[in-house]
Amino acid sequence: MKKFSHHETQSFADGDIIVREGEETREMFVIQRGAVEIVKQVGGHEVRLALLSRGAFFGEMSLLEGLPRSADARACGATTLVVFRPGSLLLQIRRDPTFAFELLQQMSRRVRELNDKLVFRVAGAEFGNRLARSSFMMTAASEYAASRPDEETEP
Amino acid sequence: MNTTVTEDRLLVVSDIHLGNRLHRPRRSFMDFLHFAIENNYSICINGDGVDIQQMALSQLTGDLAACTPLFLKFGATDRKIYHTVGNHDIVLEHFLSDIGRLTVVPFLNVHCGDKRIRIEHGHMYDGMFLKFPRTYSVFTFIGLLAISVSPAFYDRVHDLNLAIIGFAEFLLSGFKTKAQRNKDRPGEVIEGERDCFRQGAEEVGARGFDTVIFGHTHLAGTVRLSSGARYYNTGGWFSKPHCVAISNGQEWFGSVEELTQNGDPFPAAAPKDDHTHSEVQQSA
Repeated sequence: MKKFSHHETQSFADGDIIVREGEETREMFVIQRGAVEIVKQVGGHEVRLALLSRGAFFGEMSLLEGLPRSADARACGATTLVVFRPGSLLLQIRRDPTFAFELLQQMSRRVRELNDKLVFRVAGAEFGNRLARSSFMMTAASEYAASRPDEETEP
Repeated sequence: MNTTVTEDRLLVVSDIHLGNRLHRPRRSFMDFLHFAIENNYSICINGDGVDIQQMALSQLTGDLAACTPLFLKFGATDRKIYHTVGNHDIVLEHFLSDIGRLTVVPFLNVHCGDKRIRIEHGHMYDGMFLKFPRTYSVFTFIGLLAISVSPAFYDRVHDLNLAIIGFAEFLLSGFKTKAQRNKDRPGEVIEGERDCFRQGAEEVGARGFDTVIFGHTHLAGTVRLSSGARYYNTGGWFSKPHCVAISNGQEWFGSVEELTQNGDPFPAAAPKDDHTHSEVQQSA
């Protein structure tokens, strides 16, 4: 009997770690069932970077760049993932051309979201600097005025 | 271009081939549009809605002139028209965007209730289209010339085309006859459909979809995929067109004729919109 499906899948229970930050693995995953939380340890605290639902991709950065994992991925509820290894990515794109299109769409969306966050931070920092500068100027001016009261009262 | 949308009520049809002189889908397609507007459905024309590759200009303008007022009626509702690009209207890729109530996309991911549905024409999984694109367009052009001679002559050319594809499959499968090839296939298959489409549906379905809908083959049917997803092919309007009706995560599959004659399969879920309804009554 002919086998139609070529996919390798992996299943995880709620809370299972799928990949760890710094790990040198190269698989990329697509969420078939369940959800996945992407978290990063920053200064001893856990920061949630994203909560991904069915159909979302993750792990593509390590696969495409050959670099260690940049964050932890943890299963939220019973989760099934389709696994793509470096050797099967091009074959997958050939078998399902829209796969590459959707991958680019998601990466483009993530770049846009990061840009928005960056702009917000830079603008916030710039505003903070200006506020600090103007408050410094005001303090300096009032100190200057306070140091020369007699001059102002002199005719 | 947004390829992911949320819809509570959607009708999916494919391969209408408006403008093709071989058949006359105008009347039944207009009935279908009336039905969609009256019952508050958005529609998705899943590829080959207009036949740019094999059109007769007079036929196309006549078909579009008749259907355009109904398309415009969607503007009076909160419903949308989605058009996924097929191989016979591939030039519509120049219009991939939102144009008022019309959205032209290469494929569509629909969230409906708790379901994720993938709608795609399916030509990207056609082995002949991918491996031999020039031969494919030459055959399409020969088809156009044959249509200009007569529909009967086109039928003979089409039979010849199918025979060549059959012979190519015979060679590629290692000299297996059609009966032997069918024996190798899993139990549930759409009658007459080549394996490449089922394979494509499997590839897409594994990526977290509950339903995959293709057109392109003109062979209507439905099978369960190995991931558990349901695969539908809505066939074409040359013979008996089929439709998938989706309402709040529920699905119905049957012929367009059945749909328009028997009424809405999900009447309880239809939101009441008196304004739209009265407009349609007046126009009918």
